[in-house]
Amino acid sequence: MLRHLPIIALLVVLVVNANIHAKNIDLVTLPKREKVQLTIYNSEDLTLAEETRFLTLKKGLNKLQFSWIGTLIDPTSIEIRPLEHRDEIDVVDTILPGQKPNHLIWTIQSDIEGQVAVEVSYFTSGLTWQMDYVAISDSDETNFDFRGYVRVFNNSGEEYEDAEIRMIVGKVNLVEKIAALAGVPVEKLSELQSSVRRFYQRDAMQKSIEKASRAADGDDDVALGKRVIVKEGVSEYFMFSVDGTETIRNGWSKRMEAVKALDVKYDTVYRMRAFQYGPRPARFVIWKNDKESGLGENPLPNGLVRVFRKNSEDGLSYLGQQKLNYVPIQADIEVNLGFDDLVVYKRRRASTKRSDFAFHPTNRHVTGWDEEQQWVDEIRNYRGKPIQFELRNRMNGDIQLRYELPTTSFDFNTIEAKFAVPAAGQTDYPYVATVHHGSNAKQNRVKLIPEK
Amino acid sequence: MKLRIVCMACLLAVTSFGDTAWARIKLAALPVRERVELQLDNGKYTLVEEERIVPLLKSSAKSGNNMIDFSWSNTAIDKDSILFRPLAIREDGKFREIKDINGNPEINVINVAYPPGENALVWEVYASQACAAKVRVSYLISNLTRSFNYRALANKDETHLTLRSFIKVRNYSGEDFGNAGVWAGFGPHYTKKIGQQEEIQMLLERFKEVPITKTFTFNWYANGQLNADKPFASPILMHYELTNDKANKLGQFPLQPGKVRIFIDDGRGGEAFLGEDLSRLTPLDDKMRLYLGQSRDIVCSRTLEKNQRHAVRGNLFHQEIILKFEIENFRDKDAVLSIQEQINQLARQYGADPHGEAEWELGDQTSEEISFDYSDGKTIPKLSVKLAARPEDPNAKVEKKIVKFHLTIKNLW
Repeated sequence: MLRHLPIIALLVVLVVNANIHAKNIDLVTLPKREKVQLTIYNSEDLTLAEETRFLTLKKGLNKLQFSWIGTLIDPTSIEIRPLEHRDEIDVVDTILPGQKPNHLIWTIQSDIEGQVAVEVSYFTSGLTWQMDYVAISDSDETNFDFRGYVRVFNNSGEEYEDAEIRMIVGKVNLVEKIAALAGVPVEKLSELQSSVRRFYQRDAMQKSIEKASRAADGDDDVALGKRVIVKEGVSEYFMFSVDGTETIRNGWSKRMEAVKALDVKYDTVYRMRAFQYGPRPARFVIWKNDKESGLGENPLPNGLVRVFRKNSEDGLSYLGQQKLNYVPIQADIEVNLGFDDLVVYKRRRASTKRSDFAFHPTNRHVTGWDEEQQWVDEIRNYRGKPIQFELRNRMNGDIQLRYELPTTSFDFNTIEAKFAVPAAGQTDYPYVATVHHGSNAKQNRVKLIPEK
Repeated sequence: MKLRIVCMACLLAVTSFGDTAWARIKLAALPVRERVELQLDNGKYTLVEEERIVPLLKSSAKSGNNMIDFSWSNTAIDKDSILFRPLAIREDGKFREIKDINGNPEINVINVAYPPGENALVWEVYASQACAAKVRVSYLISNLTRSFNYRALANKDETHLTLRSFIKVRNYSGEDFGNAGVWAGFGPHYTKKIGQQEEIQMLLERFKEVPITKTFTFNWYANGQLNADKPFASPILMHYELTNDKANKLGQFPLQPGKVRIFIDDGRGGEAFLGEDLSRLTPLDDKMRLYLGQSRDIVCSRTLEKNQRHAVRGNLFHQEIILKFEIENFRDKDAVLSIQEQINQLARQYGADPHGEAEWELGDQTSEEISFDYSDGKTIPKLSVKLAARPEDPNAKVEKKIVKFHLTIKNLW
């Protein structure tokens, strides 16, 4: 098996000579990494790495060298702190040697002599995670087994063996992009403080806005965790911790089950919203992120949902897929499976009649009129069981709408009706819209008037 | 073979779990495909399901879990869609369901690792005992597509046809599928060998004795004038019309869009090609219309007999119109001519902007021979006129049928 050489190294410099800058030949020991914990903040390509290592210190000043060649560490974020003898050990100074990029030297003042556990922490980019979900429905399309998987990607340039992995669901605010900073030599950091840093800030802000915009469009992915993944709230964020440790090699990714809910009852609803889903009814499967559904322990991060249905002989049919946006606890989960050839929607205009003309007082030209339109929306269901149908029609103008089936206003110019369509049957939704045109139009809204 | 599943269980006795997962040089058993299913019921995505018998070793703290490597090359598999589903365990020569032991399945996928730069993944699978497990590996694959086409053979009298519906599977996925089950979501289940770069067409259904109506349509605004010599005539388009319902010997499933080749029995044991058309999705109970071309034997010309404006008030007026149609049927069979008018266009041409949908009413000079159909909306009425066949006497003159459509387009300005 090929083994990568350690890329991040913590060196104890044996020569206690203050003139570090003149030194090009070092003799060092390499304390190994005892433990590492990775906290991945996916929203900003940011990971907090916390390493525990044992150092042997002598009384007085000790020099420690930390290097990170070929990785994506933010040099400004690197910190060291003792986990024992905290009152007896101090970091006296931190030097970023100009002649040695990607190196850092700490001077440690120790009042004790012997082995000490220290924690080195830093931010790195290149470690990300992503969620995806699989729902496998029974053949009756009433219940499914729902599973969510977290996939961790390691493109950080560093090997993390037996790492404790935690993933943060939520969006943190970052002024600079870690990856951008990591690409800049250490000696240039001071310049970043003044001029270029502002560019990175603007860039980070712009990308943040774009990302939020993509999320609003449903194009964004995030993730969460499993393998008895522990889920807990942290401030406004949610944290998923992989039980035990995982090894994720550089360049590899690993996918683990994070959410599992079996035999979840779900509803199938057909939605006709031409302005939103196109000219045909879209088929939705809907359930809740709650205890009743075997979920509800944690929010569901963004991720692609794939929906299958069991068919005969243990096989599956692929029903469709959709990007799921963050689903809070107790919220509905909705997946659009697209059009269904077995549910047909047609809209017919039965008649048009005009009345109540208004004329200009001087030139006697028509300035306003009313138009009565009779419509019938026809829904045919060829499935073997009744379906729930939701109709939303958006109408612009000053409209009075008389209806027969129960109808409500979704908003000022959109009506909504929900009804069942029997198995292998048809339901008609007839309505009459009186549209006030020109000077007869006093409003821009649909007023509902139930048909007696 | 481009697609490979490798069971690393045989290595576990000598190799630790971690090393097995990361090492890309391996010695392994290759469980063969027991069965392959191609699910083509989703029009956008093709799902492949493979069934394999995978030998598993008992997981233990010492040897770790089983590592199962799945790799592919030159095949466009959606890596993120791959599912591994243990279905059964072989015991005493028979397969039985996987049980739960202390709340955990006997066989369970712990995680999946994806090596860099490779079309591969490694499942880490727990097994409570050494066994042979039947598993299903499912994935979405590109370039393995379906399409539909039809062959219609009409009888000589053009009253019925036999409609054959075919599914064509094109395999440019880069993978061979031997004896694969193929299902379109409806119709029969097939078992076919589908090699790489092969296209296989299979009969989905043969619908016999399907009643058809041959329609002749005159649509002035859609088709314009026939030619400069006949400025008031317009092409007559011919269609076969089928209804996708049980009463008309169809109605088994929505007819998917596809090319339809239309033939007719020539009455001498042969067939003549009438043409081809692209059919649209035809849901159950809807009509499929197959375009046959232009008829030369029915001639219809359209003239405006009356065009009169009636002032109402201010600049508001009604436009009274009488359209006169002169129709001749030179065929040796009766026919029904469907005349499609567009009232909005008519209003614009002879009156004024209808300001939305035109309001109109039928006038009393409309010919009784016309029957009306408003299924496409009130502003696009279809007028049907029955036409008798030409006289059998070759010297007799073909009747010129004159019908009038009298209407008033109301409230224009």
